[in-house]
Amino acid sequence: MNAVPLALYAVALVAYLWHFVRRQPAVGRTATTMLVAGVLAHTFVVGMQTMDAGHVPVIDASSAISTFVWLLALSYLYLEMTTDERAMGAFILPLLVALQCIPAIDPGIEDRAEMLRGPLFGIHVSSLLFAYASFALACVIGVTYVLLFKEIKAKHLGFFYSRLPSLQVLDTMNQRAIAFGWVFLTIGMVVGAIWANQARGDSAVDPRVQAMSLQDPKIAVALVCWAVYSFEAFAARRLGWGGRRTAYLSAVGFAIVLLNLVPISYLLPNSHNF
Amino acid sequence: MEVRERLDFQARGIDAALRTLTSRASVREAVVLSTCNRAEVYAVCETTEGGSQEIVSFVARFHELDVSEVLPHVYERTDLDAARHLFRVAAGLDSLVVGEPQILGQVKGAHAAGNSAQTVGPVLNRLFHSSFGAGKRVRSETALGAGAVSVSFAAVSLARKIFGDLTGRTVLVVGAGEMGKLTAQHMRSQGAHRVTIVSRTLARAARTAQAIGGASAAPWDALDSALSASDIVITATGAAAPILTKARIEATMRSRRNRPLFIIDIAMPRDVEPAAGEIEQVFLYNIDDLRATIAENLARRTSEIARAETIVSEEIDKFGGWLRSRGVIPTVVALRQRFESIRRSELQRLDFKLSGLSPDARARLDEITRLLVEKLLLTPTEQLKALTDGDAAGAHAEVLTRLFALQANSAVSEGAGVAEDAVTPRPTAGRVEPFPSAARSSR
Repeated sequence: MNAVPLALYAVALVAYLWHFVRRQPAVGRTATTMLVAGVLAHTFVVGMQTMDAGHVPVIDASSAISTFVWLLALSYLYLEMTTDERAMGAFILPLLVALQCIPAIDPGIEDRAEMLRGPLFGIHVSSLLFAYASFALACVIGVTYVLLFKEIKAKHLGFFYSRLPSLQVLDTMNQRAIAFGWVFLTIGMVVGAIWANQARGDSAVDPRVQAMSLQDPKIAVALVCWAVYSFEAFAARRLGWGGRRTAYLSAVGFAIVLLNLVPISYLLPNSHNF
Repeated sequence: MEVRERLDFQARGIDAALRTLTSRASVREAVVLSTCNRAEVYAVCETTEGGSQEIVSFVARFHELDVSEVLPHVYERTDLDAARHLFRVAAGLDSLVVGEPQILGQVKGAHAAGNSAQTVGPVLNRLFHSSFGAGKRVRSETALGAGAVSVSFAAVSLARKIFGDLTGRTVLVVGAGEMGKLTAQHMRSQGAHRVTIVSRTLARAARTAQAIGGASAAPWDALDSALSASDIVITATGAAAPILTKARIEATMRSRRNRPLFIIDIAMPRDVEPAAGEIEQVFLYNIDDLRATIAENLARRTSEIARAETIVSEEIDKFGGWLRSRGVIPTVVALRQRFESIRRSELQRLDFKLSGLSPDARARLDEITRLLVEKLLLTPTEQLKALTDGDAAGAHAEVLTRLFALQANSAVSEGAGVAEDAVTPRPTAGRVEPFPSAARSSR
């Protein structure tokens, strides 16, 4: 079922790239239309899975990624609508398509353990996914910032110069995305900790809950992430660390997020997968 | 050069020119396009040759010149060539600096002037609107107008790429020279919030500040504090050694918390140490860097010409189709006249047989025959008007003319011919820059 949005995202990707290079307004509109169609199809898929499982599909890695892609696409569309700036699509869409391949190939089964019911767990996972989507946007914005920065510094005003918005706009968008992401990351982690405490108190527990500690790679990486983004938000405001350094930090932070989202979930069985 | 200056229509009033022109017997519609290096008359005339002569004599008399003085400078385009010329003008393909943006506005202004003088008819109206469309398409679908091609505009466009909106930005001009003033003026017209002039002599700084308008002057000692308060710095002093060294700028970067600083060094020799460009948030451009980006932009514009010409050709095809579909109108009119005259002559011929009828019945008979003719002609008329392919329309018109022995002369008198005479003595000197003030200053 995840193949339909994937196909639409892929078409949108081609259109966004084409629009980025040739800058024909009609192609740009087509790109947005295809992306909206993809998001609608994806909404339907996520909705169906929610009906099926009785909750938002976020438990196994595959459906979590699908939900993450859906949130990222929605966030990007919001960004595009509010800034009227399509250039970023050429950078976001490759990420959407690459990640959406995972749920399209391996659908995964939503099977929720008894203990995972309840609002706390839902809030935990959804806010983390939302935070990750914001960080993904920040990362892409950071990459484009560096590309444009290098062109202006090198005094060679070419491809990106004529296509990207100004450094100031990119910097502001980056900081805003980081701030959003940081808030949701914090909420997700705090709620997760509260939930784990409650689950532990509930006796007769799953051994996986017992195994939860700072040594759990997923938790450890999330903490590193939080540290990186906290520093970034602090540095941008207090140290005047705007511009290229923040942009690099966004890229590093999101690399850690991706590590948490894909390889750790799939390759390390002792992390807290349910 | 001299003739061009004397052919300025604006000086003598475009409105008067249009009225004089259309008062001539053979000129039906007219628009005058007059800019600082272009004087063109677009007109719809009865016949091409007569129209062109009339226009040249009008141009000469209007400017109190002899026809023989004007004639060597005249160039003339007719029909679709005239349309193509206008489309290329509107697209900026005919400008000295290819792709300059002002010309489309000037073409629109010329059309508006014709409209208010009521000298624009259906043909010129369609022609000019099509030219706006062609100009817009070229602008949005090609990079013909992309990239700055003057130093001050290149500086502004860089500043916008770094800071986005210039509103609320502070500009510092070091030195009270002409170039610095000009660039500061552009920054200000783009919304820069405050302009400060620092010069070795405060009086000169104050004078320049006054010339810019809304700017303030500061003494030479205040340079460092002005530097840390500014986002954009333009240096243009006559100093022999660099005034702003890397160390000096680095010192101010700390107090400005690494906010980006855009330095434009237009002085020769340099006012800013080139090494200052290595500081993380400093963007340093000197006059040669700006000239290099201009050269790149011009090269890029040139490479877009072919695409722009293709768009112009596509729009010409559309306009040509419309123009040719208008060509069948006289045939339609002649056909209707023919049918009507047959109906009337038949009614007259049968008059004695109908004399027994009451006036009421006769009126009804007249009505019935009229409706019959209308009905018979309805479909052919619609079909003819739907022909946008010029060759097909011409062939159909010819067949109808033959079959019904229509009068040829009525077709000619209704024909829409675009005759255009454009008097454009090409300037030999003086560049047109995208900014009006820059254009003025380069003269």
